[in-house]
Amino acid sequence: MRKSEGPSSLKRKRPDLGTKNSSGGALIGQEKVLYDLICSKQSMGICTFDMKRETKFAESVVTKSLKSLQTKGLIKIVQHYQNKGKKFYLSNDFEPAKELTGGNWYRDGELDKDYINTLKQVCARMIQRKKLMTIEGIVESFKQSGAFKVELSREQIEEIVNALVLDNQVMEVKSSGFGEFEFIPIGKICYKYCTQGGGLKGEPKTGAMASIPCGVCPRITYCTPNGIISPATCVYYTKWLDF
Amino acid sequence: MVMTQYGIKYAVHIMTAHFGNLVAKVCETLLRKGPLTLRLLIRFTELTPSQVNNSLLILIQHNCVQAFTDVTEGEFGDAPKDDTLYLALFSNILHRMRFSKFVAIASQKLGQDKNCQELLEGLLQNGRLSMEQLVERAESSGRAGNHPISDVVHDSLFKLLNAHFVERCPAPEPTLSPKVEEPPPRKRGAKAAKISEVPETLEQRLIEAARPVEVLRFSMGDTNPEAEKSEHHSQISGQKRKHDDLEIAQDSGDADGPILWRANYDEFIRCLRHKACIEHVRSQFDDGVVNVLSAILEATRSSEKIVKTEITVPLSLDNIYEEVMKNEVGRSMTLDRVEASLAALGCPGMDDYKINLRRIIEQAQTDEVESIVLKRYGRDAYRMFRFLSKTGGLVETEKISDSSFVDKNEAPKILYRLWKDEYLYMEKVALTVPRHSLCLLWRVDRYNLWEHVLDEMYHASLNLQLRLAHEIEENKELLSLPKDNNNKPLVKKMHHFENVRNLLRSSLVKLDDALMLFHDF
Repeated sequence: MRKSEGPSSLKRKRPDLGTKNSSGGALIGQEKVLYDLICSKQSMGICTFDMKRETKFAESVVTKSLKSLQTKGLIKIVQHYQNKGKKFYLSNDFEPAKELTGGNWYRDGELDKDYINTLKQVCARMIQRKKLMTIEGIVESFKQSGAFKVELSREQIEEIVNALVLDNQVMEVKSSGFGEFEFIPIGKICYKYCTQGGGLKGEPKTGAMASIPCGVCPRITYCTPNGIISPATCVYYTKWLDF
Repeated sequence: MVMTQYGIKYAVHIMTAHFGNLVAKVCETLLRKGPLTLRLLIRFTELTPSQVNNSLLILIQHNCVQAFTDVTEGEFGDAPKDDTLYLALFSNILHRMRFSKFVAIASQKLGQDKNCQELLEGLLQNGRLSMEQLVERAESSGRAGNHPISDVVHDSLFKLLNAHFVERCPAPEPTLSPKVEEPPPRKRGAKAAKISEVPETLEQRLIEAARPVEVLRFSMGDTNPEAEKSEHHSQISGQKRKHDDLEIAQDSGDADGPILWRANYDEFIRCLRHKACIEHVRSQFDDGVVNVLSAILEATRSSEKIVKTEITVPLSLDNIYEEVMKNEVGRSMTLDRVEASLAALGCPGMDDYKINLRRIIEQAQTDEVESIVLKRYGRDAYRMFRFLSKTGGLVETEKISDSSFVDKNEAPKILYRLWKDEYLYMEKVALTVPRHSLCLLWRVDRYNLWEHVLDEMYHASLNLQLRLAHEIEENKELLSLPKDNNNKPLVKKMHHFENVRNLLRSSLVKLDDALMLFHDF
């Protein structure tokens, strides 16, 4: 509606303004306005739609200025992790915010699963070798191992350990001060490798329900004794009992 | 925990398989409509009075229905009215699937005593039997050796009573007043008051009202010298009572006719609960911790008054160590190791050590649910579910995906699936700052989820039973074949059928353990 009228009316005026002020100097002025705007947004960046709205510049001017700023190496484009089509412009002096990239563990808008899994495996092996470790011990081991080019922060390592706890590969225990906790202060949180409960390769023990077809059946709500889906005719059962 | 829709269907299936359609119909009506008078029961079932009567007799004989007198206050100054109502005992119906487990427990605890086992089997099969009937049964089986049969039966019954595996039948028709009754006089004293709980459901209230007093419940008879022993036993367990109570109980209880005996399901469920606790601890810790827990459970067993004991009675370290030493494996344990094991079990005690059994059971329940989530929804869902389960409160989508390393584009989809299948609770919050947006918060609603999972388990048990019946029906001709058949394809088919049957049966047994975890423990 009005939005479409705005730029079109500006479109006619702006080039006149530009030519009036100076020959070619006006474009630098617009670039500067845009560059200042982008800088003001810091690590959050700004998309072209918002730029047009805030500066009231014509689309062609914005596109042109952005290209120019890019070739000068002043700004960079960052894709939003949730909406790949949406591009955000950031000053080269800033690193994109978590809200744009998704966080530390995202690369090119996608969760870097390979990297995380490698870190998890290394961390799990460390704890498995030592049987019981504190978070400080794990951070120290990471430093000493030197296996990773990028140094990980304590927070990042904590995140990895917590993910292992959620995977049920590692157990969070409080030190009691004796037995295996002899050298650890009482009440300190420690991490222990799940040897028995974890089963094979950290797989949690399969429960009674999960080991039968009904436990994993996506259609269990539609299943009735004499219905279209019924235990007597169930394909999952037939597959399960076919050995 | 309440009866769910599939719980009722499963119970009705069990009753149909064991007693036929008529009894099952009466039972279903009682389960669905709650306690009913005979008149209403006849009207709802649309059966003849004699059919309903006979069905009720069968159900009472097998401890699946309890009759009671309901006293309602008369209106407009009329005298109080009392009606006889019949209530189906849902738990007892499900226990019918556990008889083999009960026999196995008794035989293990009583040192493989064949006579005890046979007597217990008789009681489980027949519901309630008098001494005379028990002797008759033993006579017909002809397994007594050199001793007179009645002595053998008497000894076996005594052993079973001492172990609390058998009890006197409850009062045939206790009176239930509309208000919650004051605890009976036998529960005097601070200690007893602490242990006893006000029963929550009608079923629990009724069972409590019908149950003979503790002394009488596990004694052979009032003239019997063993009664004294039994009384002594229960005094040790902390429930001192006067002889007056005994008389009161005799007046109100089964004074007429022969004494009827039945299996005490509570005791078996308690043993199975202990076993489940031990198994869960075994899956997390080493043998030392398992030994210590077994020893504590053994030592505190006599003090347990209810099946769902939350915390064991306090024991000193010396007492625990003494108990651990009784076990062959425990003898290798040092005092330090016992102390470390207690710490691993979450006992912060300095002088007295108490184990929180409720927590162990809850952990086992959580493990079971998480294992379903893992299998059904995948590892990402498993991590998110565990995160929410640990956090306990409402958490927003982004925080969940960050903490559990799930791609932010995937997380909402997985959470939505879990919510749709009633595994998660979701709340929408409209934000106005910094801009208008909708924020989704998620939580694990334990109470509702546990009920949902239990219902699915009943459904799954019913399905396993139906599939087993279907497989047997399909392969009926294989069962009638002679064992030394030389027809190779047929033999192969027979082997396959046997494997299928075994797999279905073992799955049923395992699933029943999980059912007990959620319903009985």
